[in-house]
Amino acid sequence: MDETVAEYIRRTVLKIPRDEIKTMLEKWGFLSETQLQTVNFHQIKENISLDVVQLCEENSADIKQAAVLDIIYNHIYPNKRVWSVYQMNKRGEEMEFFDLTDFKKKFKRRLRSALKNVTINFREYEDNAIWIRIAWGTPYTKPNQYKTSYAVYHSQTPYVFISASVLRSNLPLLCQALVVASNYHDIREMELRSHSLNSLKDIVFKRYSQNFQTYYPRPLQERNVALESADPRIVQESRNEKERIQRVNREVFGDGPQPKLEFAQYKLETMFKSDPKMDVLDKKEPFRCLVKFSSPHLLESLKSLAPAGMADAPLSPLLTCIPQKARNYFKIREKKGFFPGSFVSP
Amino acid sequence: GVFAHLAMLEAQAHEAAVKQEEKEQQEEKLARLKARVQELRAQRDELRAKVDQQQKGQLGKEGVVSDPAQPSARAVVEWNIKRIKAMLQVFYLTGISGKLTKRGVCFCISTAYEGTYLGSYHLDLLTKPEEVQIHRHSIPIFIPLEQIATKYLQTDIRRFLAVLSDHLNAYVGRRYQADQLQEHFSNQIEGTLQRNSLCNLLVFNYNVSKKSQTFPFNARLLYGDLCCSLPTEVIVSCTPDAPASLAARAAAHSDAFRRVALHKAFRSFGSAAES
Repeated sequence: MDETVAEYIRRTVLKIPRDEIKTMLEKWGFLSETQLQTVNFHQIKENISLDVVQLCEENSADIKQAAVLDIIYNHIYPNKRVWSVYQMNKRGEEMEFFDLTDFKKKFKRRLRSALKNVTINFREYEDNAIWIRIAWGTPYTKPNQYKTSYAVYHSQTPYVFISASVLRSNLPLLCQALVVASNYHDIREMELRSHSLNSLKDIVFKRYSQNFQTYYPRPLQERNVALESADPRIVQESRNEKERIQRVNREVFGDGPQPKLEFAQYKLETMFKSDPKMDVLDKKEPFRCLVKFSSPHLLESLKSLAPAGMADAPLSPLLTCIPQKARNYFKIREKKGFFPGSFVSP
Repeated sequence: GVFAHLAMLEAQAHEAAVKQEEKEQQEEKLARLKARVQELRAQRDELRAKVDQQQKGQLGKEGVVSDPAQPSARAVVEWNIKRIKAMLQVFYLTGISGKLTKRGVCFCISTAYEGTYLGSYHLDLLTKPEEVQIHRHSIPIFIPLEQIATKYLQTDIRRFLAVLSDHLNAYVGRRYQADQLQEHFSNQIEGTLQRNSLCNLLVFNYNVSKKSQTFPFNARLLYGDLCCSLPTEVIVSCTPDAPASLAARAAAHSDAFRRVALHKAFRSFGSAAES
């Protein structure tokens, strides 16, 4: 077995939390049950990884199998990477049958015709997600297994989720291969980025909770439970206002959990409005300013602002439009008549 | 002097008269209100007596109760609620229901396949004077919503909803069949079913007996009509080294896949193999 492959497998195993190593190796399926039983999974990780490499040596693992283990790791821990969403366009209206074998063939052919030194691996999952792992080399060097890009594609959708590596110069090659393989015409990067791959999927596939008005009976629970205190001596002074805030919040954010985003960024290119007598700026130039909201879970924190009394309800549409507009990067320019939605540029 | 004094006296008398009149008016009003109170009390007592009588009548065993033609208000309200709920249920069961919103209509399309409810999808429409716009929706991204909207939304909303509902119902039907196949016949299929998001292309290797270790048959099902949950094209082939008796079945299988639901076709293979 190649030394670089051995080292790569060892380092991949070291990344896995110790309690998960056995399950992940079972998912991998490259080592047999009997082989796995010979490993003591309670020793320190360093030793576990060496034992695993030894077993892989017995089975003569090559880079293809090692790459599969890497895909499995990234599929279970996708939040360790930052994912961007790309959108593809097609001009025709023909319905596609989307044949998986066809897709893989076209992708490999297109990518390899541009750059021979790449390692390409695919793995399909039950939710119709196709995970593509690419390790990049150069025209003169072998692929570097530690410089990988991941692309996740759901068939018959116009969206691709890409976690690029440091080598952003290879991104156009990857994009071209995706467009050709999926029978689209072009591709562009959307202004939507997050660590949580599933949340990005929820946003563009419209799987997040939206509050639609229907006659379908919804349970009337929790309407006033929070406001009824156990102690009758405590009187809610602004009960009506509290209920109004709850209602408005619910209309905007829905009932379910919000998609997980870490930040929203607003680039302002608007004129500074000051008292004309003060005349802060000599020249009438747009006042450039960047506002960035960060949070471990931005949308949940926005949802809790009004009930916590920290903001008025309803919140600014610039904040609440994030899932519906499927973007968390905004550019706001000056327009006659201030109307938040209309001058948000693509 | 004297005239001024007279004028003052006149004014005083006038004031006193006005006050007297006011007082009389108030007393009159009071008397009227008192009478009204008496009236209302009498009415209340009457109604109370009626209610008591009715309750006693319902509890009592003998014969005709107070007034069967005059149901209590509560019963009427309950009957109305039941009727409205039934109406909503009927709409809901037809698969397409809607509710007027401040700026338009919100539709709910429910899907089902052969008696199994499979989820609902929503469409929030804005009805502007010049055009109808889709504000929000929860339609899966791989359903060609934009295409259907371009064709019908502005001209014929009913047709738009019907076509969209057909697409959604057919999609969930195909997906349901594939899921059923995967769930109930997993030991007769090699690995997992190869499918795509729309479930309009299925490829798999299979066998007909539960005990066999090989999968001599290969099936390729294309669903050319997105509004249909049965395939438009089926190709069943057999591996070259399979026994001739098995290979002869391929045509029959192909036919079955074209006519009946996927999992039902499989069930029929099973029973045919045993017979």
